[in-house]
Amino acid sequence: MSRLLKPLIAPDVFDFWASRFNPTWSWERPLARVIERRQEARDSVTLVLQPNRHFTGFKPGQHINVTAEIDGVRVTRSYSPTGIPRADRRIALTVKRIDGGRMSTQLCDHTQVGDVLELSPAFGEMTWPQAADGRWLLLAAGSGITPLMSLTRAWAAASMPTELTLIYWARTAADLCFADELRALAAREPRFHLQLVLTRETASLDDVACTEHGAHLTTEWLQQQVPGLEQSRVYACGPASFVDDARQIAGSRAEQFHAEAFTLPAVTDDIHGTVRVELRATGRTLELPAGQPLLSALEAQGIRPAHGCRMGICNTCACGKFAGTTQDLNTGERHSEPTAALRICISRACSDLTLDL
Amino acid sequence: MTDTSINRPLSAEELDRFGAELDALRARTVAKIGAEDARYIRRIVKAVRYTEVAGRGLLFFGLFPPAWILGTLLLGLSKILENMELGHNVIHGQYDWMNDPTLNGKTYEWDIVGTADNWRKTHNYKHHTYTNIRGLDDDIGYGVLRIFPEQKWKPIYLAQPLFAVIFALLFEWGVAIQDLRLGRWMQGKMSGAQLRKEFAPVGRKMRRQIIKDYVVFPLLAGPFFLPVLTGNVVANILRSLWTYTVIFCGHFTADVETFPKSVLRNESRGHWYLRQLRGSSNLSGGPLLHIMTGNLSHQIEHHMFPDIPARRYAEVAPEIREICARYGQRYNTGSLPKQFGQVIWRILRHSLPSRPRGDRALTLDPPRDVAAA
Repeated sequence: MSRLLKPLIAPDVFDFWASRFNPTWSWERPLARVIERRQEARDSVTLVLQPNRHFTGFKPGQHINVTAEIDGVRVTRSYSPTGIPRADRRIALTVKRIDGGRMSTQLCDHTQVGDVLELSPAFGEMTWPQAADGRWLLLAAGSGITPLMSLTRAWAAASMPTELTLIYWARTAADLCFADELRALAAREPRFHLQLVLTRETASLDDVACTEHGAHLTTEWLQQQVPGLEQSRVYACGPASFVDDARQIAGSRAEQFHAEAFTLPAVTDDIHGTVRVELRATGRTLELPAGQPLLSALEAQGIRPAHGCRMGICNTCACGKFAGTTQDLNTGERHSEPTAALRICISRACSDLTLDL
Repeated sequence: MTDTSINRPLSAEELDRFGAELDALRARTVAKIGAEDARYIRRIVKAVRYTEVAGRGLLFFGLFPPAWILGTLLLGLSKILENMELGHNVIHGQYDWMNDPTLNGKTYEWDIVGTADNWRKTHNYKHHTYTNIRGLDDDIGYGVLRIFPEQKWKPIYLAQPLFAVIFALLFEWGVAIQDLRLGRWMQGKMSGAQLRKEFAPVGRKMRRQIIKDYVVFPLLAGPFFLPVLTGNVVANILRSLWTYTVIFCGHFTADVETFPKSVLRNESRGHWYLRQLRGSSNLSGGPLLHIMTGNLSHQIEHHMFPDIPARRYAEVAPEIREICARYGQRYNTGSLPKQFGQVIWRILRHSLPSRPRGDRALTLDPPRDVAAA
């Protein structure tokens, strides 16, 4: 059918008419409709999505880029499904509202049942190996629980022959997601060990440790919590500072260590410094001066991006930016959002960047 | 002979202030862009799609003359909207901030025989950066017509009134081959192999458009092949005539100026703005005219801010007009008949030999590098 139609109709024209009938019908774009919305914890909402047939599924522990339209602008962020793959292909995302967070505020406060979101194919290496065995340790901080919750549920559903320890840090007891389900699993399943840690509250519950009681992520504390750390394989997920700590403590001691962090790269005001710019299409990474327009900085390194006017008019040099913060040299404005069209002739880098060049 | 009655030459310091005022206006306008503009361009997309389906649908009943006429007009309307308010403006990157892949300036492909890629080069880059600079802006006469006395006269231009009409009827084809610069090939400056290579993507686009408009849709109509075919031909010609009229009014009216390459030497932002103003002319009219021309009725505003959503031009126009008045610069605008009358006069007048009046001064001061030396 699609091969027959292709010479006759452009995909965006097809999508226009298809969406008149069903908002998730599309030529090739993975779209999903919100079919359920529930409060998971204070400031956290779970959205259950029904994707169209272009979404190819995920493995527990992977992430998906979710795109929503906010005030006319399509904004994209990565989220991890918290459930396991289902026969009806539904996925559940748990979103924590972050102060000033554009996307998290949209998804938590404004997204309704029936709204349509765009998805990317799932990505990420933090998944269960084919035949998992031995001891596994999952370290989750804040929203870092989401991929690790999916791994935990997959572990329980498949009754994997492994010992599993989950240590989960949250600010207060009200910020904990999935606490009841995790406690029930720990009570039922002797091979699952759960440690909940609160960083901003002294809890009265006896299964909850608090940082005041020495539950900071230190070598001694971790070794005390996890006997056999040296034989464990570790996945850690959380803010960059947490992941750095985890890597320092567990990275060299554990049998295997893999971590994924979710904070923006540091923004620099130092126009004399350098930043690391990854050119994803060509697979090169360069150190570029932060003070110069990206186009001339790239040219100085022998790269020849397409360009025209060199003054921000003609749009010839516009290229995709996947990550990082740039500054428009004409207006002085900073932009941290990923974009399809960054004009490199009038933009300088304020942080490490990933470009579609 | 230098005519200073219309435009006052500006000092370097005045030019800087002129540029700063326009930059400030630009910043204020950019700050307002948002949900409203997104809604607007989606409404335009909707209008393009619905008028196309209505037009093509009516053409299937084209044996009935009123259906043929209305169908052809609706299809022409759809093509004009898609070409001007949607395609031209999206290709400028005016809606890139939406991050919508279907409205992305680098990838949008429009419903005319010319490729969007060639347009990005000849129009977005060459024409908008080097507006009306002789030898750099290929849009000066499109390599076919002699519009300005500074272009060298040849006897062949005596036939220009006829060329101009043919060029208007086939305008989309002219735009399609503009970047091939066939003249260079005819003069032996470009090899046949090079020309074939550059023609390949152009040929593919032409074939796609021909198959779609002149084969597939007529065939779908079965026994009504002919009315559908003629309806498509006429709709495309109507679109060519309209875009030609609007675009020629933007740069070829009586008082529009062209510039020598030397203006580019250390050109300041203020000077660039001034050159856009002196090289462009507007059409006065209401909202319908603005939409139908893709807001190129605001050619001056478009040339100053080519990447701002065009629906904002009407809103900034009074301020630009006021700034121009304060700096003693003429804001060239007039009704469509008046401006197009001047275009026709230029086409007729310069088909005969004519002598340049000499460039009007843009600035009071000598170029800055000379002053500094």
